[in-house]
Amino acid sequence: MNLSLSILEFAVIGAGLAILLADLWTPVPQKRNLGYAAAAAVGLIFLASMLMQAAAPAYAFEKMYVLDGLALFFKRFFLFAAVIVLVMSVEFADRIEAGIAEYYALIMFALAGMMFAASANDFILVFVSLELITVTFYVLTSFQRGRLHSLEAGVKYLILGALASAFLVYGIALVFGVANTTNFGELMGSARVASARPVFLLGLLLVLVGLGFKIAAFPFQIWAPDVYQGSPAPTTAFLAVGSKAAGFILLLRVLFSAVPEITVNWTKLLMVIAGMTILYGNLCAIPQRNLKRLLGYSSIAHAGYMLLGVAAMNSAGSSAILYYLGAYLFTVLAAFTVICVVMRGVEGDDISAVAGLHQRSPLLAASLSLAMVSLAGIPPLAGFFGKFLLLKAVVEKGATQPGCYWLIAVAILGVVISLYYYLGVVRAIYWSKGSAELSDIKVSWPIQVSLYACIAAMFYLGLFPDRLVNIAMEAVKALKL
Amino acid sequence: MLPWTIYSSFVGVVMLMLLPREQARAARVVALFTALIGLVCALAGALQVQAGSSVAELCRLEWIPSLGIDYHLAADGISLTLVVLTGIAAVAGILFSWNIEHRAKEFFAFYLALIGGVYGVFLSFDLFLLFVFYELAIIPKYFLIAIWGSTRKEYGAMKLALYSFVGSAMVLIGLIAAYVVAGAKTMNLVELASYPFPASFQYWAFPLVFVGFAILAGLWPFHTWAPTGHVAAPTAASMLLAGVVMKLGAYGALRVAMTLFPLGLKAWQIPFGFLAVTGIVYGAMVALVQSDFKFVIGYSSVSHMGFVLLGLMTINEVGLSGAVLQMFSHGVIAGLLFGVVGRMVYDRTHTRELAALQRMNLSQAIPYAAVTFLVASVASMGLPGFSGFVAELQVLIGAWHAFPTFGILAGVGILVGVAYMLRTLQKSFFADRAPGGQQHGHSLESISVAERVGAALLMGTSLVIGLYPRLLLDLIVPSFHSPLFDGLRKGAGL
Repeated sequence: MNLSLSILEFAVIGAGLAILLADLWTPVPQKRNLGYAAAAAVGLIFLASMLMQAAAPAYAFEKMYVLDGLALFFKRFFLFAAVIVLVMSVEFADRIEAGIAEYYALIMFALAGMMFAASANDFILVFVSLELITVTFYVLTSFQRGRLHSLEAGVKYLILGALASAFLVYGIALVFGVANTTNFGELMGSARVASARPVFLLGLLLVLVGLGFKIAAFPFQIWAPDVYQGSPAPTTAFLAVGSKAAGFILLLRVLFSAVPEITVNWTKLLMVIAGMTILYGNLCAIPQRNLKRLLGYSSIAHAGYMLLGVAAMNSAGSSAILYYLGAYLFTVLAAFTVICVVMRGVEGDDISAVAGLHQRSPLLAASLSLAMVSLAGIPPLAGFFGKFLLLKAVVEKGATQPGCYWLIAVAILGVVISLYYYLGVVRAIYWSKGSAELSDIKVSWPIQVSLYACIAAMFYLGLFPDRLVNIAMEAVKALKL
Repeated sequence: MLPWTIYSSFVGVVMLMLLPREQARAARVVALFTALIGLVCALAGALQVQAGSSVAELCRLEWIPSLGIDYHLAADGISLTLVVLTGIAAVAGILFSWNIEHRAKEFFAFYLALIGGVYGVFLSFDLFLLFVFYELAIIPKYFLIAIWGSTRKEYGAMKLALYSFVGSAMVLIGLIAAYVVAGAKTMNLVELASYPFPASFQYWAFPLVFVGFAILAGLWPFHTWAPTGHVAAPTAASMLLAGVVMKLGAYGALRVAMTLFPLGLKAWQIPFGFLAVTGIVYGAMVALVQSDFKFVIGYSSVSHMGFVLLGLMTINEVGLSGAVLQMFSHGVIAGLLFGVVGRMVYDRTHTRELAALQRMNLSQAIPYAAVTFLVASVASMGLPGFSGFVAELQVLIGAWHAFPTFGILAGVGILVGVAYMLRTLQKSFFADRAPGGQQHGHSLESISVAERVGAALLMGTSLVIGLYPRLLLDLIVPSFHSPLFDGLRKGAGL
């Protein structure tokens, strides 16, 4: 038992508790600023995580918990995302009637759940960490108690999330029933024997359903647009980045370190899911007028692109997912930060609310446009290189699996469709007739800093991808590919 | 020297972004200055780099070592020709948009970004880098049309962006496939061109990449973005679109699709030759019945780019060098034609309907425009003395060797070309004054100095190349003996 391995998680939980406690002594007008303290604390933990090394995998809690390169990569990812989301929440604070400190604390608890998920090496930890994430998100989505949309989002997320959790836990029970273990390392040894039993496969499929819900993959994507639209903007951002990435790390762990022998037979299934997810997300995004809802559909599409990397079943594919997530992190956070600032007092989050944004605040306009262009996958921004790596991985797979070429055609179709609606947003920003509101928007300095950081990262990852590619390649060595 | 064509353009973009918003005049001056630096670099580079029958290295740095991708700039005669064309077109385009007042600094920033991307494509010898520059040009194109355009600009801009994007997506898949098949070690153009790709792979990879590029070159039946895009675009953008952006497509088809996949080329020579000829004849026929002045020029571009593609499909030295020369020639002439239509006529009369122009007696109102358009149409028809003649003649000779039927059909296309240019010339400038027609004569502002200089630059270029084509042919022809075309010589019998 080696508790020191999970020091980062404990630090996050401790900081979250400290925020809750500090709330008791903080006068009401100052409560908002607790968010900056939270962001600073998480930022420090992020910097501390940079000092950690994970050359060889180290285990804790009876091998339930693993700290390897992959886990560390994702922990840093989640920590960085949480910093930006917390800064965003401070900006959002005046739209939340009461309990802003709890909002910050819940974000940090969700963060802890994600960080545990990154290290999951046992189905029990998978379930527990996912529940920690999901249950906190039930609250986070419906935090604006006065808004009907927010409540609706919360209820939808609760019902469908509970259903997905039920699938997951039922699947885990079946797996345990056959294999007599929930540990990934032991499962790998017994999987070949157990895989003869259909009940075992059924159990794994149910686990996949539960994870598919997390990443919003077709056909478990139904909740995403409604929840994205109704939730407070910082929640949506964290859902889009953190929750999705947590789903992917768990998916990678389950598929490629628990049952790699079985996963090999599921190539076609994964390919179909990837293709359908891409098409569904992109096609449904076309007619959307609500910016958050549009990003909800686009996040489904991006889950589809990342599933390409899973379906490729090679280390190129998995490292491409990691790279893609890195690019997606900065891009989506930039977009949601802008939405959070601009949509103040706007009901409906309609795209027309960003009309003429370039006159109101050039920085916000540039950030949102660059985010859209990066999501569309146009160089020299980060999104392009991610797609390049994913496509390359699938093409490599194509040598043995000719169906991959169809998948590529579908992916390309999706990318082309997506250009249409992303450019629509950019067009609204720079060029639209009759925008009602033209007053300047004040952007606070922490928001400015996070936007500049996101923009710089988008360009850096797009222009100098080598470093992150190497890190990602190193990280996926933890998987049995 | 040559890489500075790219860098100076992007430096210009940054400088423009730093300018205060109201300074339209300063923006123009900065843009013109930047474009001139680009042109000077291009010309100096063309004189300095003695490419001959080899590829002159300009710059090679490791970029993404884990994937074998380099920042690799190099040039041969073909690149040099097109870089010089880009320089000339860029300067002329700015001179022709001297009257832009609406958000001038953004206009020129997008304009220079587009130019920088184009220079980059022509000088990249790493396929990944080439692709990055190629895609970089999409967004500025979209904005130039969507914000500053005219007739159905949203539709035209989106159509152009989507067509370009579909094309580049096809190219991307082809490039990744080639990269993976060749062992995923290098994206270097010369190394990949010498890699023996299996024939079965080439049979589908060639059409994928070729069509992907050729969409942007206006390959029939994927040309429909071109007329609408050209018409919707503001003058400078349509000059660039027709002048250099369409050349990107043709250049990519030659540089990438043909050199990488010679066996595929051989197999698809006749079908694509047929599409090219269809484009020539179809474009000319449609141009013959247009009522909008700019649509005539738009369809004429499709027709003339058909010659480029036909020249490429001949796979012999005469045809190929004719194709490259035609790229240059059409770039200059189309720029001139769009300049006359968009800036000299439309900005003054606010109509492009030939029927309306017919009543305006323009040859007396703006004689300089009339003379310019006369020269441009004569050059466009392919009369001796202008660059179009040399280029199209070479393509026809090449086509005659490769597929005589197509050669004859292309000849018919030239005849129709004479017909529609004469019709347009007559209707636009030299119509008899209709009784009761508008007396527009004295109300039109006279042709400005900037326009005169721009027009003279383009006319002079076409004339010089027409009279002394060896200036460019000495650059172009030896390039086909470089190692890059080894595969094409062996595989497709160049």
